[in-house]
Formats: sequence, C-alpha cells, structure tokens
Amino acid sequence: MAERHDVVILGAGHNGLVTAFYLTKAGFKPLVLERRPVVGGCAITQEFHPGFRCSTLAHSAGPIRSDIVADMNLESYGLKTYSPDARVLSLSPISEPLVLYSETAKSQAGIAKFSQKDATNYADFQRSLTRIGEVINLLLAMTPPDLDDPASGNVWELLKAGRKLRGLGEKELYRLLRWGPMAVADLVAEWFDTELLRGTIAAQGIFGTFLGPWSAGSAATYLLRTAGDGNPAGPVSYPVGGAGAITAAMAAAVTDAGGEIRTCCEVASIKVKDGAASGVVLGNGNEIEARAVISNADPKHTLLGLVEPQHLEPGFLQKVQHYRMNGTVAKINLALSGLPRFRGINCDASLLSGRIQISPEVDYLERAFDASKYGEFSEYPYIEATIPTLWDSSLAPAGKHVMSIYVQYAPYKLRDTDWDSQRDALGDTVIKTLAEYAPDLPDLIEAREVITPKDLEQTYGLTGGQIFHGELALDQLFTMRPLLNWAQYRTPIRNLYLCGSGTHPGTGLNGMSGANAAREIIKDLRK
Amino acid sequence: MAPSASGKYDVIVIGGGHNGLVNAAYLARAGKKVLVLERRHVLGGVAVTEEIIPGFKFSVCSYVVSLLRPEIIRDLDLPRHGLEILPLDGTFTPMPNGDYLWRVNDHGKTMREIRRHSRFDAEAYEEFGKAMLQMCRFVKPILAMVPPDPTTLNPRDLLKLLFLGRRFTGLSGEDKYNQVQLMTMSAIDFLDQWFETDVLKATMSASGIIGTFLGVRSPGTAYVLLHHYMGEIDGAFRAWGFARGGTGAISNAIADSARELGVEIKTQVAIAQILVKGGKAVGVATTTGDEYYAPIVSSSVDPNLTFLKMIEPQHLDDEFRDSIKRYKYRGSSGKVNLALDALPNFTCLPGEGNHLRGAISISPSVDHMERAYDDAKYGNYSRRPYIDMVIPSLTDPSIAPPGKHVMSCFVQYAPYKLKEGTWDEKREAFGDNVINTIAEFAPNFKDIIVGRQIVTPLDLEREWGLTEGNIFQGELSLEQLFFLRPVPGWAQYKSPIKNLWMCGSATHPGGGIMGAPGRLAALEILKHFKGTS
Repeated sequence: MAERHDVVILGAGHNGLVTAFYLTKAGFKPLVLERRPVVGGCAITQEFHPGFRCSTLAHSAGPIRSDIVADMNLESYGLKTYSPDARVLSLSPISEPLVLYSETAKSQAGIAKFSQKDATNYADFQRSLTRIGEVINLLLAMTPPDLDDPASGNVWELLKAGRKLRGLGEKELYRLLRWGPMAVADLVAEWFDTELLRGTIAAQGIFGTFLGPWSAGSAATYLLRTAGDGNPAGPVSYPVGGAGAITAAMAAAVTDAGGEIRTCCEVASIKVKDGAASGVVLGNGNEIEARAVISNADPKHTLLGLVEPQHLEPGFLQKVQHYRMNGTVAKINLALSGLPRFRGINCDASLLSGRIQISPEVDYLERAFDASKYGEFSEYPYIEATIPTLWDSSLAPAGKHVMSIYVQYAPYKLRDTDWDSQRDALGDTVIKTLAEYAPDLPDLIEAREVITPKDLEQTYGLTGGQIFHGELALDQLFTMRPLLNWAQYRTPIRNLYLCGSGTHPGTGLNGMSGANAAREIIKDLRK
Repeated sequence: MAPSASGKYDVIVIGGGHNGLVNAAYLARAGKKVLVLERRHVLGGVAVTEEIIPGFKFSVCSYVVSLLRPEIIRDLDLPRHGLEILPLDGTFTPMPNGDYLWRVNDHGKTMREIRRHSRFDAEAYEEFGKAMLQMCRFVKPILAMVPPDPTTLNPRDLLKLLFLGRRFTGLSGEDKYNQVQLMTMSAIDFLDQWFETDVLKATMSASGIIGTFLGVRSPGTAYVLLHHYMGEIDGAFRAWGFARGGTGAISNAIADSARELGVEIKTQVAIAQILVKGGKAVGVATTTGDEYYAPIVSSSVDPNLTFLKMIEPQHLDDEFRDSIKRYKYRGSSGKVNLALDALPNFTCLPGEGNHLRGAISISPSVDHMERAYDDAKYGNYSRRPYIDMVIPSLTDPSIAPPGKHVMSCFVQYAPYKLKEGTWDEKREAFGDNVINTIAEFAPNFKDIIVGRQIVTPLDLEREWGLTEGNIFQGELSLEQLFFLRPVPGWAQYKSPIKNLWMCGSATHPGGGIMGAPGRLAALEILKHFKGTS
C-alpha cells in the first residue's frame, strides 16, 4: 500500500527547506524528498580536493532575509555569516583597483582618487537606491497580485506597496519607472564618469542573466540585487563553512520542527487524478500519497518533466516550454597552495576578503556577452571570485586557500561543440584571465574543479543550467514569474505548487520564494 | 525688418516637418492663426523629396509610409491635396546560399513560400498575424491618447490609468500574455516562440530595430516591432506603401491642406532663439534678426534643439535641463540613395520580377543582424549591415527618367559616434561598404549605379536638425515611451516654460511618418486656449 503523507516537497534546496519549515509551523507535517545524497540543492559545501572544501556552487547568500533567519532560528543551529567591510575589490589592467565598502564614506574616499564628481554622486546614488529598495523589498515579500482581479489577494499588502510608492515622491517614483526598463550601462553612465566604477556596478545587473550591460532590463536586475540595503556594490554575505552551512542549519530547523527529510530519494513523476496532484512516484517505483505536492525544482522540470502532458493544456505547456532558462554562469573552484598576489594590493587580506571582480569597463562586459550570443564562451569573461579561507580557515589545510569563482558568460548551448570537450578550455581561460591580475596564481593551483552549465543541469537539476531557475528578464519577473497569471505559487493542477527560484522573486539565495510560497500554500491547505 | 505685429498670429510652429505641419493644420482648423517657420528651402523635414541628381527624385530620408494616422488623412482631406499611396508589395530577402524568402501581400502565396522553408512556420505565421492584429488593436487607442501622469492624483490622469488597466484586464489570457511579452522582450526572443526558420525571424525582427540603437536580441525591440506593425493604409493593418512623387508628397499634401486652412508657411527662416519673458514664451527670433510674436510657440524640433539650443539656460531649472540632456538620441542609421540605369539582378532570383517591387531586405540570418549591431556598439559602422531597399520608380515612374530607376537603401547600423575618424572622412567608405554588401547578392549592382547620395547620421543632424542623427527624434526605448517621452513629468506636450509646447516625434507616440504627435499636441493646445479665453 502506498505511503501517505500530509504534504510532499520535491527538493531540499534552500527554498524547499524554508517552505517546509513554515508548513511545520502552521501545523503540517511535510516530507521533503531530495534526489541527491546531500541536502542543499545549489547551496552546498563539498570537498573537491583532499583537504579542500568550498561552496560548490553558490558561494554568497542573498542574504537570507533576516525574518527568515530569525523564524528558523538558524543562528542557534550554527549559522554564522561573514560580511566583509571591503565588499568589492574591482581589478583594473591599467589602474589601481577600486574598493567599495559597506560604509559610504570609505567608498567615496576610494572613488575620489578617480573622480571627485563620482565620489559625490555615489552618495546621492546610494540614497536613491536605498529609497527605491524599500519599495522593492515590499514587492519582493508579497505574492504578486492577480492582474485580472487585483483585489482578490492581500489587499492590505497592495495598499501598503501603493502607499510606499507614492511616498517616494515624484522624483524617485519617476526614477523607479525610468530605471526599471533601462540598460544598466545607461544607468551608470548617467551617474558616473569612471569606467572602472561603471563596470563594477554594471556587473551586478548582468550576473546570472543572458543580458549584457547594454541590454534593456539589466537595470531592473541591478535594482533587485541592491534592494537589500541600497549599497551600490550589492550585498556581500558569506556563510562561514560555505553555503552548505545555510542549508544544513535549515534542515536541522525543519527536522526539529517536525518535518521529515529523505535524501537519495528521487521523484520520477507527480501523480495527477481529476486535475489534482495526489502524490508522487519515486524512482524505485514506490508511491507516496499526499494532500499537496510542492516542487522546489524549476518550473520546466516540474511541469514538463514530472507531470504527464495530458494533464496540462497545450497552450499552457507551450508557454512553459518558452520560459527562458539558458544559463550563462559556470563555476570554478581552485585549491591553492598559498594566497595569490594581486597587482596593486599584494596580500592585504582585508581587501581580498570580499568579492573580487574582473569587470574593468562596461565594454569589457559587453564583449564578454557578445560571445555567448553566438554560442561561445567569453575569451575574457566577467569574473566574480572569493577566497573564503581568509575568514574560514577550516576549509583548507593550514596555510592553504580555496578560491571560488563565478564565470560569465558560459552559455549552456555551445555552437558546434559540447561542454565535456570544452571544460578544460574554459578552466584555462579563467586562469589566464585571472593571471593577468595575479601573475603568480597559476603556480599556486593544486587542483581545480570546473562546473559547466551542463553539469549544473545534469548533476544539480537546473534546467538549461540557469542558476536562478529562469532568466531574470522583465518578462519573467513579478506577476510574470514564471508565467503571467501563474505567479502565485499555484499551477493549473490543483494541489501542485511551486516554491523554488522560478517563482517570484527568485533572485538568489535569500529564501524569499520559499517563504512567499508557504504563505499561499498554507492559505489553501486551511480552506 | 520690423517685428510681426502682436495679434497677427495665435501660434508659431517651429519646423515644417510633417508633425509641425499637422500641428499647424489642426490649430488652423479650429480657427487659430498659425505661422510655420522652416529652416530649409523645402518643407517636410525628413519627409522630403529632392532631385539630387538631375531627373532622379529621391525620398532623401524617410522612404516608405504606413504609420500616417487615418484620422489625419481624413481630417485634413489629404487625398484631395494630392496624397496618393501606392502599394509596396511584399518583402524579398535574398540569402547567401542561393535561396530566398519572398513574402507578398497575397496570403496564399506567402503561406506556400514559408511552407517551402518550414511547414511548421507556415502554420505559426497565420496564428502570429492574428495575435499581432489583436495587439495592434490594443495599442492603437494608446497612440491616440495623451499620456497620463502616473505620479499625480489628478482625476483626468487617474481615469486614464484606470482606462488602461481596464483595457488590459479586458484582454483574453492569451492576448495579455502576448502584450506583456511585446512590451518587454527582444524581437528574437519573441519570434523564437513562433518560428524556426532563421531567415524568416531575421527579416521579421528587422522592424524591431529600425531607428534604434538596439540589436534584434536586445530586450525592448519586440515593442518596436509592434510599433512598425501598426501601419495601416486604407484600414488594412501591416501594409506599407510609397507616396506618389516620393515621401515629400506627403508633406506637400499636408502643407497644401494647411495653407487652405489659412496657415502661413515660410521657408528658409531659421530660428535662433525662442523669446521668453516672465517665464512665458512670447515668440521667436530668427538667425537674421527678425522677431515673430505669438501667445503660443509650438516646437516640432527635438528637445535638444528646443530647450538647450533655442532657450537661454536661465529660463529653465537645472533638473529639467539635466533630464533633457539625459534623453537619448544615438542615431544608428544612414541612407544611401542611388540612381540606376538598370535593375539589379539577384543571383538567387534573376530577372526583373515582382520581387523588385516590394522591399528588398538584406537580413539573411539572425546572426547577420546581431553582428551588424555588435560593430555599432563599439563605434564602427556595420561591416555587413542590415539594408532595407526599395525601388519606388518601378511603381511610380514619374520619379526617374524613362527606363532608369531610383533606389533607396536604409542602412543600419551607422552609429553617430564613431570610435575612429569622422563621418565626413568615412562617408564614401560607408557607401562603398553598403554597395559591396548588396553586390554580394546582386553581382551586376556596381555596374548599374549612375549616381549616389550618402546620408550619414551626421548629415541628418547638420542638414535636417536631427540631434545625433536619430530619425525618431530620440530612441524608442522603453524608458523613453508613453508617459516618459521625452522626459518624466513632461509627456503631455507642455513644457516648463508657459506657452511653449512640443509637437514633434520626441513626444508620445513617437517617430515614423505618423503625424500623431502633431495632432495630439494641437488638441492639447486648443484645450489650453479654451481654458484661457
């Protein structure tokens, strides 16, 4: 006889765990099924070379929204985060690097070396971002309204957002309306003259997307990324012990609250009866019945891979097929025998502890993007690296280091070749690029792990290797994430819900999609 | 010369382009005394026909028409004033592999042609046409609407926003989905959802980049695609045509109608300054020192010229001037006009068939389009540009000597700002490059050219007063549309200077030979008159 459960959640990624937690708090008993042997999805820490561990994929948190950290009591489960004072070290081939700090005045002092005008504008820009960010934060935390019947949802939340919008005043409101659809390259050009500063900021608008800095809508991605605290450098929040520490703490919180998590437990399909989800079939053929099925997997995998097509309308299926998930990010982890010397800063660990960026100018980023349009990876990629051993020595043997690197653009679809044959070429390109700024780096490498978009799909289940479970473009945000009129965590199949990053807001390792989804699901389950 | 007596004119319109003329005609229709001042020796702005090479009449800049609002044609009785639109049948795209794509107005033929490339696409093409028609129906009233101000609580603006909201919620689920996508996506992402044939997508996406500094893969270009889909001649959507006698014939018809309504039009009168007294516009001063006074000044030239060149800085606050400076032009296109003594012979479809009577599009692949854009991003003209050609003399023999032809080539990209050199230095090389690109598809091409005129973005700026050579008086990018056009807070044709109005393409709904900005501005100005009388 089939096993029966209250609620089944597919995938123990961070959003799945957050949803599970809030369901337990509401009195339900969720069962979380994870295909892999470890929980965490894309937020995991693994040993990639004997003695060397690091965040395999995501290495920085969004951060996890503070109320979620508090509700789940994650600190009591050992979660510690490190927020370096020097958020960004942005390298340049022709000048001193630029450092942006948490503190505005310190950033301004550094910028002033390049341009006094930019330093002055930086503070104004931050003020504007902070005010706009407050409105965006409200939107991020709410369930997108139903456009057909905006009053059917949480009217109070809508009114609050509306009031907050008006409270911005005419100037900021117009800024928000104008900036949203803009190219981030235009936005930075309106504020700053220094190319290095422009590139440093613009990079935040393209991360994880199939957009270049000149693509319209990249400013919206930038606003989403900086909404947290309005710092133009974007957030920098590193979990001690790597990203796996976040999900380990979450898993413990879920289990303690009465939820159950099973690893090595693949779901082969979702059972649908009379238009409603009734449970899941596991890889081994066993079945689990449930009142509700919640998928933390991406929308394409869930709706095209796990549900038999006859349960969905052809028009809907077609839209899901058109949902864009073309990854552009690869990940490289390096085991280093020592700390590399970057030109212009030597081994000043305090400057290296944040995000190390190679984004010296807007055109550099745009050229990197150009390659991906024709199915090639960038010859000179945008690089976002961190050396977590600087604040967490447990990750490597004494005196040694790990370097965790995001690389963009590495398009999921390569033209005339495949990722298995290009893996090493990509690794070499990244090291060659970094070596221009840290010449001794190649000699320090003891081992490297190259994770291509194809690996992201095959090993970690991200369709198309898209790290955000769907392109962050204007047509796939808010009321349109994943699809217009299906932005409320529900699907056309009753009792089947989405809670992953492919739902609003879906902007990274912050738990917000999971928390929003839980709120809606609990409403339904209590009906 | 003595200044014009006050009371002689109610309105002075700066610029005798099609919008300026439409604006004047509508004001005159309501009984206002209007003076139009044009800097050049001919009327029409970029909607102009000029005989550059003896016997050959070129539509120097704008060369096809479809967007001209039908209510304007009706209200101003343009056919009676000589406007005759001849049909432009189809689009022919030669391909380097010896094949071609040739779409015509005959639906059955086009379906057969597309089926030759992809059976699947032929089916989708039909659906696509229907969906776009729905979208055009949705957007059309917006084109005829003065944009609301989303930041005020003014009932008039709120009602408009409500109207838009209701209209949107009134759409079917499918249409809503399409509409949102059209407003936000790239032309290629949008078309990818419908079609698989590369050359079809490339040619269709071309309408999404015309006049913009965007590539076919840039988000926001799906909207421009729709903007160009909106064309209608005799009520049929998506039909493009030529004006008999060249594009200038449109301006001449509007001017004729305006004169009949009592508008006074002077050419070769360049404005040096808009006269402002006590925060109000009171008239204009010309470069020769003449002054003309009127209680209203309506400017059809772009915001850069109007506010930064013609008005002394002390009359405007810094914030407004900054936002005008931020308004993006970024011209990206050029024009090559050719006098031919024979017709081009395309390798993939030899002979003088009907395929030469429509548009001929050099858009063989999506990558061709996108790479053309890549060159422009870094300050070079496209090595292998997108070219849209027409040979209007096949349809209208009056514009060329017997047996000879006029060919109009719209070329993109030609960025206003070149990384190296100036347009004056590069003009001929640019023209050669265009001709070489066409010759790859039509080998006899170089031998049939008897004269050429090359119009660069710099020429558009210097000769036609289009800042940075943008043919729409400012990019049609999302942040410069509707209530954000030209700048936030000033999308209702008014300006911070009392009695100074805007009526050019830099205002909603933007560029193309549409006439809507001129008309909408006139209606707003008339409301103002009512309010003050």
